[in-house]
Amino acid sequence: MTPKEMVVTLRDRYADEIETILERYPAEQKRSAVMPLIFMAQREEGYITGSAIDEIAELLDIASTQVVSIVGFYTLFYANPGGMHRIQICTDLPCALRGADEFAEQVCENLGVKLGETTDDGQFTVEAVMCLAACDKAPMFQVQNSSGLTYYECQSADDVNVLVKELRTSPDDLDETVSG
Amino acid sequence: MADQVTLKIDGDVVSVPAGTLIVDAAKSVSNDIPVFCYHPKLDPVGMCRMCLVEVGTPLRDRESGEPELDEHGDQKINWMPKLQTACTVPVSAGMRVRTATQQVTRARKDVVEFLLTSHPLDCPVCDKGGECPLQNLTMSHGSGESRYLFDEKIQLQKRVPLGELIFLDRERCIQCARCTRFQDELVGEPVIGFDKRGRALQIVTFSEPGFDSHFSGNTTDICPVGALTTADFRFGARPWEMQHTPSICPHCTVGCNTHLNTRRSGMVGGTVIKRVMPRQNEKVNEIWLCDKGRFGHHFAGSSDRLTVPLVRKDGRTIEQSWEHVLPLVAAKLAAADGEVAGIAGERLSNEDLFCFQTLVEGLGGRTMQWPGRMGGGDLVQQVGVGAGTDLAQLGAETVILVVASDLAEEAPLWWFKVRQAATKAGATLNKHPASLVVANARDTKLDRYANHIVRYSYGDEVQTVQALTHAISGDGAGIETGIDAQHNPLLSEVARAIEAAENMIIIYGSEGLDFSGSGALAQACANLLIASGHVGGVGNGLLPVWPSNNTQGAWDMGVRPAGMSVSEFTSGAKVVLLAGADPVGDGESLPEDAFVVISELFKTDTASRADVVLPAQAFVEREGSYTSGDRRVQRFYPALPALGDAMPDWNIFVRLTALLGLGTVPAGAGAVMRQIAADVPRYDGISYERLADVEEQWPHVGGRDSYYGGTAFENSAGLGLQTPTLAEMGHQVQPGNVEPPSVESGEFLVVPITLLYDRGSMLLRSKIMHQRLPEPYIELNVVDAERAGVGAGDRVALRVNGHDWEMATRVSTSPPEGVILFPRSLAGPLLPRTMVASLRKLES
Ligand code: SF4
Ligand code: SF4
Ligand code: FES
Ligand code: FES
Repeated sequence: MTPKEMVVTLRDRYADEIETILERYPAEQKRSAVMPLIFMAQREEGYITGSAIDEIAELLDIASTQVVSIVGFYTLFYANPGGMHRIQICTDLPCALRGADEFAEQVCENLGVKLGETTDDGQFTVEAVMCLAACDKAPMFQVQNSSGLTYYECQSADDVNVLVKELRTSPDDLDETVSG
Repeated sequence: MADQVTLKIDGDVVSVPAGTLIVDAAKSVSNDIPVFCYHPKLDPVGMCRMCLVEVGTPLRDRESGEPELDEHGDQKINWMPKLQTACTVPVSAGMRVRTATQQVTRARKDVVEFLLTSHPLDCPVCDKGGECPLQNLTMSHGSGESRYLFDEKIQLQKRVPLGELIFLDRERCIQCARCTRFQDELVGEPVIGFDKRGRALQIVTFSEPGFDSHFSGNTTDICPVGALTTADFRFGARPWEMQHTPSICPHCTVGCNTHLNTRRSGMVGGTVIKRVMPRQNEKVNEIWLCDKGRFGHHFAGSSDRLTVPLVRKDGRTIEQSWEHVLPLVAAKLAAADGEVAGIAGERLSNEDLFCFQTLVEGLGGRTMQWPGRMGGGDLVQQVGVGAGTDLAQLGAETVILVVASDLAEEAPLWWFKVRQAATKAGATLNKHPASLVVANARDTKLDRYANHIVRYSYGDEVQTVQALTHAISGDGAGIETGIDAQHNPLLSEVARAIEAAENMIIIYGSEGLDFSGSGALAQACANLLIASGHVGGVGNGLLPVWPSNNTQGAWDMGVRPAGMSVSEFTSGAKVVLLAGADPVGDGESLPEDAFVVISELFKTDTASRADVVLPAQAFVEREGSYTSGDRRVQRFYPALPALGDAMPDWNIFVRLTALLGLGTVPAGAGAVMRQIAADVPRYDGISYERLADVEEQWPHVGGRDSYYGGTAFENSAGLGLQTPTLAEMGHQVQPGNVEPPSVESGEFLVVPITLLYDRGSMLLRSKIMHQRLPEPYIELNVVDAERAGVGAGDRVALRVNGHDWEMATRVSTSPPEGVILFPRSLAGPLLPRTMVASLRKLES
């Protein structure tokens, strides 16, 4: 079979990093490297592309479908492009009891999107997620973006408005931020 | 054997091997604990909670370790505070299990209700309806009324193609992971998996093509709901409308047991095969089928079948009745003075081949097996694998040597079972894998599971096996041909493994070898088995990967390869009588002046050349038997009415025999089998009655129990019988002389290989498989490709025997340098053996 054509591969770009990651695991257990490799691939585009999935599968000698399964299982991995900042609101039972549903609804309304959608300027995606282990501080959410993960606890919709203003990059800075 | 453990389930005292799960222990006393995610062939996961039961263990005195007794002198039981999943808890001595308490009943009802909260309940349009575990278990354990509103159910896609063969209905999936675990544990191809989680969880495939596995159809059998359906059967019929006929898969030498489901079709206007299902036979196919067996049945009902006898007269073909045509043929045969050349295909049934052989022999003629490209049938009769061997059950005491065969492509269920023996994945009490040696000239799928991979050059197959024999028999000098186990660390390691093993099976094929070459390999393998004392018992002996389903039967009935070309074989013949063989289509020629008679299903090239064409019944229209590579004689039964005037082949030959005054017409196929039993060595004692015998199979599947093992059918029609080998009958079998084949040399050696999905006449008539059938191609090593200036996908002209054949190119590291792999039966020449070839790139 012919290897799949890939434009710029992860291997081209991150050869050293891939090697360091693989070195952490015994050669016959290299499939264990799947999590750090997916994490690395996500950094590239903000989500995991189809070709990255195939490439990781090939690197680890597992089926592409297995990589997809892992990406799909974890709420921190994305198979589709989204906003620059992902606002991930916990709506699991304990949070729901403390009003997470209404909170999520208001946040969405203020941003003019529905759950799972991205604002027109491509900056914010609002998502409902499972328990983030801060049940006693609901409503709570985390923001996932290029600088990592940040928790926000005991929040109100107004708090979110303030945060959104802070995070929202002006169109002028946008190019720089995206490429950086 | 594992120790027995005794426990009590409700009122029943049960004794089972240690390690058995409660659910299986209960099943063995007909206590049907309901399950969804559990499957007796898969490792338990405890995902669905349907199997909850109460479990207790005897209380023991801490000091003395003695069981504590209550005031009545009964053992005190420590009941676990919560219900336990019967599918994950192994039994222990003195354990008590309660499966009929209020608590258990309530739990079952709740789990069913929970599953139904997001299940569409569209049973009236669901293919599984009528044989659906969810439907059945809801009826027996669920609540009569729903507390949910239809609008509260989530709505998802109902037609998601996982490739073109299997469809997923996302709403119906209950997330049991049976399908994904089957692919992962039992096939080793995790090409379907779970995406997302919770309610959003769904089955996805990311392979190319989708759901890329030769075993995909099995997931539709074990899916406990109608979430997975085959493109072949989707919306095809309701389970209760269909007739059931036990049959045997005609596609390869494994001989999987099948069930043909048939129904009248308004569209076609007659009875048709709606689906092919596995019929349980644990030693053969367990409860599985490969996709070729499942979807490749359409040739039988194909509209281009021959239905009337045809006679060529003055250059024109005219239709004739049997009354006219048989005396005509008989007269020609009688006038031939014994110059009758009989050529019979390896796909015919034993009855056909026996009657064919009897007729031609009676006339003083000669017979030939076609294509007859693999040797060793006589050796299989002497040292074939011991009767009762179950490949999947072989364990640490056994070495399995696979040589010159790409087992995954040539005998899929044997590959499946050998993989099982070598990995012990899935549900098995024996966790000690057999040691697997794979010896081939190139990479094959089985390598992944091998303890030792032996690579030889094409042409060195025989010497490689001989070197092992020499190493074992202590003949330290090695052998003259240059392959010397003593100085080859890998080969001597293999030799040591063989010496250390209690049992050994050699599975040999014919890749890269012609009739005499594969015969020599068979002899070399037999010698190795004899030298190491591995003949005549269960788990020992020789297993041939025959190119066709009934090659062994042909050998047994006396129709053997001639080891020469058809033109040589037929030279001087006045009449050439063919049955189910198409040598002309394969590039051979028949003598101009001979009178040619053929019985066939289709108008093949040979049939077009024939003077008389006799329409034969397909195996699905008649009775008969096949003998698989492990010498198992198995019966098949008529599932469809005969087509037109077609007759079973055997019937044609016995009528001719009778017309010629050489014998009488037996009453039916069963009577032919009685003659076979009387005349054919080692078939004595075989009768249709005995072939229909069954014994209890584990796991219990089929019928009412579809929730337990899926929709595989229980075997009530016969497990077949294995003919004994000479070794088993106590004969001293002597090693024979081996003549290694000579090797040709040239720029490129083109080696014919076998693909499961080819463009042969049987599979090509199953349209459903077309997307999986490759275009004609050759495969080259990267180094050769570079040297020849061709890349993947380029069109090339392959020059063999003075002819150019246009092919696409694949490039990989699998073929050895200097070798062109050339899949058989895609297009192009039928290469009888490895040949010298050259290559030219075609401009596009
Ligand atoms: S598709 Fe069927 S077998 Fe697979 S997880 Fe869903 S219900 Fe289970
Ligand atoms: S393994 Fe062979 S006999 Fe079994 S279903 Fe497949 S082709 Fe038929
Ligand atoms: S339920 Fe929301 S953080 Fe745990
Ligand atoms: S949890 Fe036991 S059958 Fe599913």
